[in-house]
Amino acid sequence: MGSNMAECHPVAFRWPMKAKLNGAKLIHVDPRFTRTSAMADLHVQIRAGSDIAFLGGLINYVVNSRRWNTDPFFKEFAVNYTNAATIISQDFKDTEDLEGVFSGLNTFSEPASWPYNGNVGRYDPASWGYERDPKPPGPATADLIARRAGPPFDDLVRSLKPGPAHRDPTLQHPRCVFQILKRHFARYTPEMVEQICGSPKDKFIRVAETLLENSGRDRTSAFAYAVAWTQHTYGVQMISCCALLQLLLGNIGRPGAGVMALRGHAAIQGSTDVPTLYHSIHGYMNAPSALRPHESLRAYMAAETSPTSYYGHLPKFLVSYLKSMYGAAATADNDFGYDWHPKILGDHSHIASFAAMAEGKVKGMVVVGQNPATSLNGHATRRALRELQWLVVKDNWLTETATYWYQAPEVKSGDVKVGDIKTEVFFFPSTQIGEYDGSFTNTQRMLQWHHMATKAPGDCRTDSWFYHNLAKRMKKLYAGSTASKDQGWLNVTWDFDPDAGEAPIYPGEPSARKILREINGYMTADPTQHLPGFAALKDDGSTTCASWIYCGCFPAPDKNLTARREPDPPGVPGAHLNWGWAWPANRRVMYNRASADLQGQPWSERKRWVWWDPTFVNPPDPKTGIAPPRGKWVGYDVPDFGATKAPNAPPKPDGIALDALSGTQPFIMRADGRGWLFVPAGLVDGPLPTHYEPAESPVHNLLYPKQQNSPVYKHWAKGKPYNPVAEIGDPRFPYVISTYRLTEHYLAGAMSRWLPWLAELQPELFIEIGKALAQEKGISNLDWVHISSPRGRIKAKALVTDRIGVMQVAGKAIHHVGMPWHWGWMGLSTGDVVNDLTSWVGDPNVSIHEGKAFVCNVEKA
Amino acid sequence: MAEAMGFFTDTTICIGCKACEVACKNWNQLPAEHGGVKEMSGDSYDNTQRLDGIHWRHVRFIEQFDGPYNGRWLMMSDVCKHCVQAGCLEVCPTGAIIRTQFDTVVIQSDVCNGCRACIAACPFGVIDMNPAAGTAQKCTLCYDRLEVGLEPACSKACPTDSIQFGPITELRARAQKRVEQLKAQGETRAQLYGDDPNGPLGGLNSFYLLVDKPEVYGLPKNPQLPTRNLPKSATFSAASAAVLGLLALVGLRKQRMDDMGGGGAGGGGVSPN
Amino acid sequence: MSDTFFSGAPHWTWFIIPYFFIGGLAGGAYFLAAILEWFGGPAHRPVIRTGYRVAAVGAIVSGLLLTIDLGRPLRFWHMLFQSENFPAIMFKTWSPISFGAWAILLFGLFSVLSALGAMSEEGRLNNRALRAVGGVMQGRGLAKLVAALGGLLGFFVAGYTGVLLSVTNRPIWADSPWLGALFLVSGASTGAAALILLSPGRGATEQSLRWLTSFDSRALVVELLVLVLFLVSLGSINKVWLSFWGLLLLVGVVGAGIVWPLRLHASPARAARLVLLGGFLLRVATMLASEGIERYHMAAGT
Ligand SMILES: Nc1nc2c(c(=O)[nH]1)N[C@H]1C(S)=C(S)[C@@H](COP(=O)(O)OP(=O)(O)OC[C@H]3O[C@@H](n4cnc5c(=O)[nH]c(N)nc54)[C@H](O)[C@@H]3O)O[C@H]1N2
Ligand SMILES: Nc1nc2c(c(=O)[nH]1)N[C@H]1C(S)=C(S)[C@@H](COP(=O)(O)OP(=O)(O)OC[C@H]3O[C@@H](n4cnc5c(=O)[nH]c(N)nc54)[C@H](O)[C@@H]3O)O[C@H]1N2
Ligand code: SF4
Ligand code: SF4
Ligand code: SF4
Ligand code: SF4
Ligand code: SF4
Ligand SMILES: [Mo]
Repeated sequence: MGSNMAECHPVAFRWPMKAKLNGAKLIHVDPRFTRTSAMADLHVQIRAGSDIAFLGGLINYVVNSRRWNTDPFFKEFAVNYTNAATIISQDFKDTEDLEGVFSGLNTFSEPASWPYNGNVGRYDPASWGYERDPKPPGPATADLIARRAGPPFDDLVRSLKPGPAHRDPTLQHPRCVFQILKRHFARYTPEMVEQICGSPKDKFIRVAETLLENSGRDRTSAFAYAVAWTQHTYGVQMISCCALLQLLLGNIGRPGAGVMALRGHAAIQGSTDVPTLYHSIHGYMNAPSALRPHESLRAYMAAETSPTSYYGHLPKFLVSYLKSMYGAAATADNDFGYDWHPKILGDHSHIASFAAMAEGKVKGMVVVGQNPATSLNGHATRRALRELQWLVVKDNWLTETATYWYQAPEVKSGDVKVGDIKTEVFFFPSTQIGEYDGSFTNTQRMLQWHHMATKAPGDCRTDSWFYHNLAKRMKKLYAGSTASKDQGWLNVTWDFDPDAGEAPIYPGEPSARKILREINGYMTADPTQHLPGFAALKDDGSTTCASWIYCGCFPAPDKNLTARREPDPPGVPGAHLNWGWAWPANRRVMYNRASADLQGQPWSERKRWVWWDPTFVNPPDPKTGIAPPRGKWVGYDVPDFGATKAPNAPPKPDGIALDALSGTQPFIMRADGRGWLFVPAGLVDGPLPTHYEPAESPVHNLLYPKQQNSPVYKHWAKGKPYNPVAEIGDPRFPYVISTYRLTEHYLAGAMSRWLPWLAELQPELFIEIGKALAQEKGISNLDWVHISSPRGRIKAKALVTDRIGVMQVAGKAIHHVGMPWHWGWMGLSTGDVVNDLTSWVGDPNVSIHEGKAFVCNVEKA
Repeated sequence: MAEAMGFFTDTTICIGCKACEVACKNWNQLPAEHGGVKEMSGDSYDNTQRLDGIHWRHVRFIEQFDGPYNGRWLMMSDVCKHCVQAGCLEVCPTGAIIRTQFDTVVIQSDVCNGCRACIAACPFGVIDMNPAAGTAQKCTLCYDRLEVGLEPACSKACPTDSIQFGPITELRARAQKRVEQLKAQGETRAQLYGDDPNGPLGGLNSFYLLVDKPEVYGLPKNPQLPTRNLPKSATFSAASAAVLGLLALVGLRKQRMDDMGGGGAGGGGVSPN
Repeated sequence: MSDTFFSGAPHWTWFIIPYFFIGGLAGGAYFLAAILEWFGGPAHRPVIRTGYRVAAVGAIVSGLLLTIDLGRPLRFWHMLFQSENFPAIMFKTWSPISFGAWAILLFGLFSVLSALGAMSEEGRLNNRALRAVGGVMQGRGLAKLVAALGGLLGFFVAGYTGVLLSVTNRPIWADSPWLGALFLVSGASTGAAALILLSPGRGATEQSLRWLTSFDSRALVVELLVLVLFLVSLGSINKVWLSFWGLLLLVGVVGAGIVWPLRLHASPARAARLVLLGGFLLRVATMLASEGIERYHMAAGT
């Protein structure tokens, strides 16, 4: 659900197919009958954008089902491993009480410093918290910050500990999470699901029953999703809704369970880990922000550290990161250079930046491995590009982004004169993946090293070459500057030149080995001493480590674990621990403590994964010489828990991090060690998933008539002529349209439309329309049609099929159409830009666009 | 001859990704139709349409629906069947087509002179000309790879193992099991095509698991050798030749009679010299 | 649905069609000449000579057409010798195209010899070497021997083209055993027609011409008969004739090529011309009707 796995992850889809041969049931919920549906035992059509209604329906069905209420497994898992029993503050008001919104909703007005955030509203999450005992006595955080206490920063962290939260293991308390969510989802009945999603009731019930049958002690079910669940104004909530359901079904932290994110670009996982995201620094620590209480190192730590989870170690991660940034210049006295670190002003994500660019607020842009000219409201995007003074494109091909200034439709049509575009465009030919050494990080968080297969032609250079030499030149340029704003850049360490004897693969190429070492981390005093894992990180500057989550992938100069290629022998339920290296700590299944029951024994033989071996004799600690008591977590995987922490171990009263959790709290990255059904903090759009309509929809919100859309979604460049959005049920755009991929092409198309072998497989842009609509509009197969949205109008050939069609939504017959979006004007196979139809609206948590559900009209050309 | 090698293609786990089609073109360096610049076919997701001289693998898409969302979508990766009794090999007048030590059927491109008899002879429409080479071409079952102990490029690339390569006897056993499994799961139409050594053409060294009639997948129900027609055809021709011969002689005879009967119509038949 | 609809078209078109026509005609002409060589008596010499020369020219043209049509013309000899171990012979008795390659070669050889004989008979050879050969060929015994072999080969060449089509898996062609016979008879009728038109120029006697015309009429009747058998044997396949090619077969071949000439006793020449046209259209219709059939889609019934 939420992905077209067979078409978009064909190699990974090998495994669902193997499971199918072993008798597993496969379900696909998708607006189209795709190549994945063709393999599934059951396909359920769903209107784009309505997944929360569907998942909410499942949740409602599950908590009221006989099986869930009679098999003790489910409650045992929910009460102990999730926050179902936790009691929520009495200030909290649910959508049930406030007709579709949660307590704490405020209006939002753009700050002058960065007026491109696009939020239509903003929540204050204060009222969503747990009901707690008063805070235990101890030094006050504010004083510690004022006193510049630490390193070590343990006292600071300890001072953050809140009082224990109230719980009701009977799940009866009206304000316990379970009762709240039961009420919250009560309206998500099968009938309602059918009305909103257009999914036939009988099919929906078959899905629910299949999930129940295949969940429990002895069986697990898994969900695999991708951007069908992200590209929405409430994408994050879709995924968290699925997580909620899976926690209720006991399908998290166990083999064959989980919520699988099928990530996109080959190393996109790596790019967010390392990270290229504006709002986080390495390892998903939040980027220092001018909008948060991040004035000083300790203030940042106080704001960002969760004292009672593994994140309690954040000071160690952060200081080691700062050491990697500023090296010797980072000392305890100057707070390890924290003040030099850049701070963000607001939403600097892709669309926000382009919204700013469109208003001439961005001078220049470096585009590396992206082709924005054909993605996300193409007209507006290209308008923004035209405002640039300079543009660098580094790519393997002359993409649409490199040629928009003389090839774009608006230029060809004469609406824009080439002479009026002042942008200076530079193109850098790039190497391809096989032409250099490096690592991929794939969907399962696994790093795999790849070796150069062949030399790149001509002047093609790697991206690391580009940044390495750019950085070296810039450091030269800034050398000797006394301006305080430049001190950060001057102090950045940049030691990636190959050592003597280490031959660069291209002239001026940095050493991939050194980059990996920087990421893995080493003893500050002796860089040849690599760090074995993040447990070794210190908050006093003695360790240097760019990315704590990657710490351990390169534990010794001669041990690059990402280059391992040893699969487990066939037949064993192996985790393939010797194939590549997966963060964190080479774990393959996260939170795998949950694969064992309270006593630490496997829930069932069939689902054995990680368990407690009480007889295990532990070796004495090398430093203290004292051997811990018998007992250890063992299994097929690396246990995601304190290795020798017994299942019956109580929390330490004044302990921080893992010491603050008991032996039965598997979710060690959560402040309460439990899976969150109700999300008290971290999401900006509410603690519970709620069905809203997409920014553009032909129907009203049946569940919350007073609240059509998410009250806090993002609408950038609102009111600007280049980003209009259609009214509810706008008669000019009566059809629901979704955009998606084909196996035969890759994203904006540069990597496939240039290739004869792939171009001939899908040579032209098309729109998939149902037979009923085709008949109504007198369109026959292969006819040219015009597709229009409030943002643009494009041409494509019609592919008339029963794999997509009409749905009964809110009593109306709604025609659903869909288009692959791979085309542009360059390459062998060319076609109109589908993104000329899409808009700049998106999700408030992660700022992704709503490309999956909007409205359009279709006319015979 | 070494052990007979071939393909078992389980169409029920084909996801139509066409990796096999591309892998084949890549390994054999086959050109794309019109360099890849062409119009879509409108026939589901099948834009290459057929096996021919530059498409040695072809993935077929069959949409079987009655009403929106209500039906199934069959996919099948087709290829040369490497028939145990091969029509193409039978007729080839240059001996370009040979049977290899792997019991596969290969066209030697350097021998072929492009007479195209094999094209019409193949019951499955597998062969066609490769315009670049001027010779008839088809799947070689990666003869060059087999010789060095490599698996064929297409099956290697197949992510779901819909295409399985191996010794035919093993593949047949595996295929039987799969059919039984499907039947048990209620897929009554599950059937093997070309697995029977006593069946048409002595069995196909590339055989298939189908869930509908062969014709639906573009496969003949009962493929046969072209020479089945030779005896009859030749006899009838000979017979008609004889008839004509007789007619001609009868004609002459009659003329003589007439002439003897003196002064029949027309001049006395005194030849000029 | 016949299994033949799943095969691929060999693109045997604008070189092969004329080849089949001319080859048939040449074969037919030589056969008639051979008959006369043996049983005809001196009155028929002009027709015999014409027959030989038509055959020779036809055989050579046929060979050329066949070769040009190859994807790799320079490898035409691969059909006769094993290219890997020349000069080992390449010959498959069961493959009409292989057999045919040899047949056309030998037929060419014999018809040229006979033609040389004929020409020296007319005293038209000035090249000494050729004159020598021609002289030898005038020896009645040898001439008769060559004529016998050539005549059989001639009929083979006329007929094998149809058999070749039947020994495929293509619609129409492989769906009937009568195509060989049909082409053979048509070869004879067109051969006769050609002689009717050409031999008067070589001083053919009234008597020969009468014989030729009566033979031709008889051949046409046989052709019509075989054509009917052919169509009957096609059975359900006949639906393919619901097309332009069907019309051509009816009007062009049956109408203009058979029935009409039969009713034209008055002017044999005009009849002969129509017979030639019909013979050609017969090849066009039967071959292109099958060539035009798109595989699979027909099969899947879509
Ligand atoms: N061949 C190929 N593979 C790729 C890519 C490619 O371009 N080509 N791109 C890669 C990248 S970057 C990514 S992000 C992934 C994306 O992987 P996917 O998310 O699987 O790809 P999409 O085709 O965008 O969308 C999947 C399906 O979502 C359906 N859909 C649309 N709206 C909705 C909805 O609201 N609810 C539900 N349930 N379904 C909906 C569409 O019909 C489509 O079938 O693929 C990666 N893999
Ligand atoms: N309507 C609609 N729009 C969408 C989506 C959708 O589903 N619907 N999907 C969205 C998603 S999930 C994504 S990920 C984006 C993708 O959108 P983009 O990332 O803009 O598109 P790509 O084609 O992946 O661009 C990658 C470029 O990198 C180049 N490249 C490849 N390897 C290298 C290399 O080693 N170095 C360098 N420098 N360049 C290289 C390729 O040639 C290509 O031009 O599109 C988004 N846009
Ligand atoms: S294209 Fe690459 S990433 Fe995508 S499925 Fe194939 S191998 Fe995996
Ligand atoms: S399938 Fe066709 S080409 Fe392949 S071996 Fe059989 S007859 Fe020859
Ligand atoms: S085309 Fe080539 S391979 Fe085919 S029959 Fe003729 S010579 Fe043989
Ligand atoms: S076996 Fe080799 S030649 Fe045959 S289809 Fe597969 S890849 Fe192509
Ligand atoms: S590679 Fe495998 S799954 Fe993909 S189309 Fe070919 S046979 Fe089907
Ligand atoms: Mo993506």
